[in-house]
Amino acid sequence: MEHYNMNLTLKVWRQKNKNDQGRFETLQAKDISSEMSFLEMFDVVNEQLINDGKDPVAFDHDCREGICGSCSMHINGRAHGPWDGTTTCQLHMRAFNDGDTITVEPWRAGAFPVIKDLTVDRTAFDRIIEAGGYISVNTGNAQDANCLPVDKNDADLSFAAASCIGCGACVAACKNSSAMLFVSAKVSQLALLPQGHPEKQSRALNMVAQMDKEGFGSCTNTGACEAECPKEISLTNIARLNREFIGAGFSSEK
Amino acid sequence: MKWSQFFNTSIGKKLLVGATGLFLCSFVIVHLAGNFQLLYNDQGKAFNAYAAFMGHNSLIQFIAWGLKIVILLHAFIAIQLTFSNRAARPVKYAVSPGNQTSSWFSRQMAIMGSILFIFLIIHLANFWAKFHYGDMPTQTYAGFEEPLKDLYRVSQETFKQGWLVALYVIGMIGLSFHLIHGFKSACQTFGLNHKKYNGLINFIGVWLFGIAIPIGFAIIPVVIYFK
Repeated sequence: MEHYNMNLTLKVWRQKNKNDQGRFETLQAKDISSEMSFLEMFDVVNEQLINDGKDPVAFDHDCREGICGSCSMHINGRAHGPWDGTTTCQLHMRAFNDGDTITVEPWRAGAFPVIKDLTVDRTAFDRIIEAGGYISVNTGNAQDANCLPVDKNDADLSFAAASCIGCGACVAACKNSSAMLFVSAKVSQLALLPQGHPEKQSRALNMVAQMDKEGFGSCTNTGACEAECPKEISLTNIARLNREFIGAGFSSEK
Repeated sequence: MKWSQFFNTSIGKKLLVGATGLFLCSFVIVHLAGNFQLLYNDQGKAFNAYAAFMGHNSLIQFIAWGLKIVILLHAFIAIQLTFSNRAARPVKYAVSPGNQTSSWFSRQMAIMGSILFIFLIIHLANFWAKFHYGDMPTQTYAGFEEPLKDLYRVSQETFKQGWLVALYVIGMIGLSFHLIHGFKSACQTFGLNHKKYNGLINFIGVWLFGIAIPIGFAIIPVVIYFK
């Protein structure tokens, strides 16, 4: 692929803290290489801001390998930008052309309040996991790997669900700010395996109750979450969560 | 979780919307089958006899009142969910993805539902209220001892008004757009998403409920208007 440099205009959301109103600020990104990632482009912009004695743009990042789920930018109306199955750190500047104007916003959801600029508070996800996204096991020696037989297909489906990195793109992409794709992935990865069975009822009920309590919207099956998920988590997981929840509602004794 | 709590969760409410929606889907099939009798060239004998049966059979009347409750329940919970969904994003995006990530139909359910609700009020005023509570012309047919209420003639007269025909067609466009997403969305809410059946669900949702049935309904006033 041909390498090229570009000059870009960025419209970036700037917000001092969660009580600040916030506003868009126009920044110039000069001599950006098409080989850079979107975050590296922001590093260049921030270095310029620091040299000018201004406040750099705050954004979340950690691994920059597309696996940690830290980065969270809404780029030109798309969660993690225009590429499918990609986190912002893996979005490269060759997705853009010289002279482009790029609008960058934080995830927008009442349950994800802005901490600063493009950084949002996603601890609501942690509280949903605490409500039931776990299995209870005895400590000590690990069991023999094959002592619990698992159907290969179930193992594959569970693994696909477990690839959710909890970045929150599903919430950001959903017109209702629904967290159903996230919750369904976390419920599915355990519900599909024998280790997840003992707590399956309380898990589905408690995680959904916590999801509602955090103020996420409800799912209207538009499929925007699946389209934007960097790990391409399937809507079939939401159907499975619905089945788990209905089953638990019918038969749980609590 | 108690049932009262269950149906207060987001999924519980969606299940109620989905269940009432699927019941209404079954209703439109029956309603359309009955309405096709308006196109018979028999001075309304078949249709009026059918209307008299539907209007007097106590089981049908019981279901008819249930139907009205179902419609109100469907609308009430859906409106409640729509408002809480809007409130879940207090600050909106400056740039939205449009149709890149979701279908247009899937995002217009509340709008289309509202169009349908307004249509339904007009539709009930046009026929149901007249039939049960208004002055109706009657017609005597061979084989019937009593004269029958002539709902057939009322419909012929109603659909000679062009603006009402246009309104009914708009109502059915609303029905079409609502059900293109509505049927498969209800299936997904009930957990029915399986590669063996998704093709069939999509076909029924789009072609039967989204296209064939609304066209079937819309064709009746149009045919009467041009007759």
